[in-house]
Amino acid sequence: MDISKDLIAASATPLILAILKKQDSYGYDIIKKIKKASNNEIIWTEGMLYPVLHRLEKNDFIESYWEKSEAGRRRKYYSLKERGLLELEKHIKQWEIVYSTLSAEIYNNDEKRGEYNV
Amino acid sequence: MFDLERDIGSWCDHLRLSGKLDEVDVIELENHLREQIDELIENGLSEDEAFLISVKRLGNVNMISEEYSKVNTNALWKQLLVDPVVTGAKKQNRRDIFLVVLFSMVAGTVAKIPTLFGIEMGSYVYFKNISFYILPLIALFFVIRHDLNKKLIWYVTGFFVLTGVIINLYPSYSPNHTEILTAIHLPMMLWLVTGVAYLGDKWRNNKGRMNFIRFTGESVIYGSLIMLGLIVLMMFIMMIFESISIDVESFVENYFFIYGGCAAAMITVYLVETKKSVVENFAPVLAKIFSPLFLITMVIFLMVIVITGNSPFVERNFLIGFDLMLVLVLGMVLYTISARNMYDKINIFDYLNAALIFIAIIVDSVALSAILFRLSEYGISPNKLAALGENILLLVNLAALLWLYVRYFMSKIEFEKIEVWQTHYLTVYAAWMAIVVFVFPIIFRFN
Repeated sequence: MDISKDLIAASATPLILAILKKQDSYGYDIIKKIKKASNNEIIWTEGMLYPVLHRLEKNDFIESYWEKSEAGRRRKYYSLKERGLLELEKHIKQWEIVYSTLSAEIYNNDEKRGEYNV
Repeated sequence: MFDLERDIGSWCDHLRLSGKLDEVDVIELENHLREQIDELIENGLSEDEAFLISVKRLGNVNMISEEYSKVNTNALWKQLLVDPVVTGAKKQNRRDIFLVVLFSMVAGTVAKIPTLFGIEMGSYVYFKNISFYILPLIALFFVIRHDLNKKLIWYVTGFFVLTGVIINLYPSYSPNHTEILTAIHLPMMLWLVTGVAYLGDKWRNNKGRMNFIRFTGESVIYGSLIMLGLIVLMMFIMMIFESISIDVESFVENYFFIYGGCAAAMITVYLVETKKSVVENFAPVLAKIFSPLFLITMVIFLMVIVITGNSPFVERNFLIGFDLMLVLVLGMVLYTISARNMYDKINIFDYLNAALIFIAIIVDSVALSAILFRLSEYGISPNKLAALGENILLLVNLAALLWLYVRYFMSKIEFEKIEVWQTHYLTVYAAWMAIVVFVFPIIFRFN
């Protein structure tokens, strides 16, 4: 199933922050992790990911550093900062509100009309 | 024949061409492309297939750079200049030009004020205060352009005012050596303070300081060019009016030169600050042309000294000349470092720079021994002590740079270490200049 562009854009920040909370990571790795965690449903493009990463860095939510990879290349790693953690918590709360509202609506409608099978 | 490295290289060049990505961004994306290619090759694809698929996945270069330009404010101004319809940029540019004109007039007028109180333009007092005519206005220009935070504005203003008061309260007795030393060191110290206004909150950060070094180097280059133009114009004015028997010398000396000089300084700062792309393309080229020439000059000079056995340090004035040359060489070395891309591989200019540093160390040691000789022979004087301090500072700086360069060549450290060290060392210079300006006059009883 294709996820709409708007939703992809809206969910990028919390997903990136959540990944970085677990472990420092770099662009290519983040895309792979998202792909895996979503069972190949969410596939990000690089043109979308890097600008978001850079914006997050500018906003002081994450920071970056360079490290050599096994192949001897310079990789730009990102890691979560204190402010980013707070931001992530804010995002999670917002998503929980959206999610619980949505499920409550579905559940209510279920009761009334019995149209949905959840 | 398919050449992966070549194709990756030209893909990166395409990214660069868009003008919206920083070099660091390009390296990050290049690395991403390579990871993708490696994975596909591991899965059994050939190099060229892997390359094509990876490039396609990364998307259209234009699209990537479009997305980037939304976050990359550094690149934003490039768009704004290309597209003057954007009123914000146009407005700001008009405001800046207005400020440049206004501040030039103000600076020129401020420079005239002392003469109202009977202070001659050639006098020591006038000379001592020379930095107060223009530097505060340059600092103010940065304050307005960069939206400095309030606290920093107070610090910078306070420093200027305090320095101005102290310097002018200090008396000065013949032969005025400490006063002259103050006059020489004050502009350099206050330039570093102006640097704080230029950098704002980033003044502690080594990238910021490196940027200020670059800014200084480019200002020197462009300032010299503009001044040269001004002198040509001045000579022209003198000549044409002389031909109709009208003497304009006093006008030129008293007005044209002062206002013109102030305007030249403001215009230089404005140009280097706002027309980065023009400057960026030109100044590093100049540095690359002149650093080998300086190297050759100094090597030949040293060789001639050794062969003929003539010491250049018998005369005191030459010693000062040598210090100036060392400062110039160090400035060039620093400028080359600041204009260098941090992620470049080692290239010929790095070796040239290191060679220049090496020769400068030799010249500096010779100068230092001459100063020590004079100190032991003729006793302590403010001039000699100041020269001694400066030569030691320079020697430490040069030696450390050479050491770091060698370690960099041996791939022991990243190039960034050199920058970090150098930018930290700037504080030492500021401290020393403050000592010469504030403490020397007291130690030597204002003589």
